[in-house]
Amino acid sequence: MLQLVADGLIVGSVVSLGAVGLTLTYSLLRFANFGHGELLTWGAYLTLAFLGLLLAGAEMAPIGPFSFGWPLLAALMLALPATAAIALAVDWALFRRLARHGNAITLVIASFGAALALRNLVQFIWGTLPEYYTREIQIAIRLVPRDVLGGLRITPDQLLVLALTAAVVVLLHLFLSYSTLGRAMRATAMNPALARLAGADVAKVARATWVIGAALACIAGVFAGLTGQIRPMMGFDLLLPLFAAAILGGIGNVWGAVIGGLIVGLAESFTVPLLGAEYRAAGSFAVLIAILLIRPTGLFGARA
Amino acid sequence: MSALAAREVVAGYEPGLPIVKGASLSVAGGEIVALLGPNGAGKSTLAKAMAGLVPVASGAVLLQGSDITAVPAHLRLKRGLGFVPQTENVFANLTVRENLELAASLAGLDRRAAREEMFGFFPDLARLARLEAGRLSGGQRQMLAVARALLAKPAALMLDEPSAGLSPRYVAEVFAMLARVRQAGVAILLVEQNVKAALELADRAVVLVDGTVRLDEPARPLLGDPRLPALFLGAREHA
Ligand SMILES: Nc1ncnc2c1ncn2[C@@H]1O[C@H](COP(=O)(O)OP(=O)(O)OP(=O)(O)O)[C@@H](O)[C@H]1O
Ligand SMILES: [Mg+2]
Repeated sequence: MLQLVADGLIVGSVVSLGAVGLTLTYSLLRFANFGHGELLTWGAYLTLAFLGLLLAGAEMAPIGPFSFGWPLLAALMLALPATAAIALAVDWALFRRLARHGNAITLVIASFGAALALRNLVQFIWGTLPEYYTREIQIAIRLVPRDVLGGLRITPDQLLVLALTAAVVVLLHLFLSYSTLGRAMRATAMNPALARLAGADVAKVARATWVIGAALACIAGVFAGLTGQIRPMMGFDLLLPLFAAAILGGIGNVWGAVIGGLIVGLAESFTVPLLGAEYRAAGSFAVLIAILLIRPTGLFGARA
Repeated sequence: MSALAAREVVAGYEPGLPIVKGASLSVAGGEIVALLGPNGAGKSTLAKAMAGLVPVASGAVLLQGSDITAVPAHLRLKRGLGFVPQTENVFANLTVRENLELAASLAGLDRRAAREEMFGFFPDLARLARLEAGRLSGGQRQMLAVARALLAKPAALMLDEPSAGLSPRYVAEVFAMLARVRQAGVAILLVEQNVKAALELADRAVVLVDGTVRLDEPARPLLGDPRLPALFLGAREHA
């Protein structure tokens, strides 16, 4: 029981970070980007590539109880701007051009195409076999004995993922609440024409949105790789949970996406003992169907 | 030299389909010019074109003598032209304070100082600082929208029907506020449906019919002038 909750929250962390990026790009650019999952994949693989370059064949000395060392964090720092650059490049080459003439459907279909291209590029460069940041085997710590609610074992990496997700969400909240750029993003999401009258360069705001969404996706991808495997399909497999979380939270609502992500993670985790591990995604699917039937505006609704 | 002027402005939403068909007007500092006309005449379109939100096909928009036709909309507030649109003129998802601080920071001002100055000018807003702007009453919302446009101490202010949908008490309040803004030397272009109230407040009136200026005269004498109903007729029932 406790174990399922913990597992669900760890998966939920990854889903939350991805869903926040998805909901931000949706509310500012006004289309559902089906390529968002690929940004997670690219973030994970770019970090892997930078890690390879930094280590140059040497072993990574782990930090304290964790499975990885400083080089992984350095690689992540390099991968963040690189993932953002990919998002900006796709926007420049595709979405911005299409937005000038087309409608939301054109953009959604284009994002499918971009996703396919990005995914195939990953397979072409890195192959289809699963990769890992480290081969270090982590010993899970027993936090709760087995006779209390089934007990709880968790690895230091998993605990770190939970803590860092919380930190990232708090930082994002502070950014959106207090910085001029963050406020301009909220204002532009509400009313782009008025944002221009208030002095916001909406093209710059849109670029900032891509950068932030892609950076969150990169972090989510690395967390997914750290607590699981790095695979070309990892982002695509997360697409359904991401959308379920974003819609559950009320599309455009950042806190909603965070909560939605955690709920989706828990739903998937509790699906495993009920239906078996191969049906995890059914948890997301059930959440998505339920919310669309019961409350299509999401738990927290999009504030009108 | 006028603070704000439109010179032979042609503007519309689609290429080759002008809504404003060569309109000229000018507003001096400390002057209120009422922009009147029947529904669909193109008043809002002209104001939006002057604010940079609607493309100007030909002609020019001048601010204190310099041509700002090519200046992007988001830089016009900083340059000295504030605009309060007809609808959705505050960020409903931001607090009153955030609405003001955002415009102040984007204009390169100290956001605390600018906000406090506006709170001094509109004491009601200070009381409501932490409220989401979407929860304001109609009159409070207009005050906030005007405050946002005034933050950067513009040379000119354009307002699109600031009295629309307001109760008479609020209309009086908004118009009294505009009189105060005029005293600060700001040039005001006021689009209005409320012809009588606008003519009583304004110094001059410009009447736009089908995208062209048909009248540009001192405002007061136009009260009761039979040419006005004639110009409005055909497009609108005149009471
Ligand atoms: N966004 C738009 N796209 C296309 N046409 C528009 C748009 N907004 C207004 N129009 C058209 O432009 C014409 C003039 O509209 P405008 O809003 O400028 O008139 P107005 O004088 O402000 O009228 P009102 O007194 O009703 O506010 C109308 O025929 C209207 O249908
Ligand atoms: Mg109008």
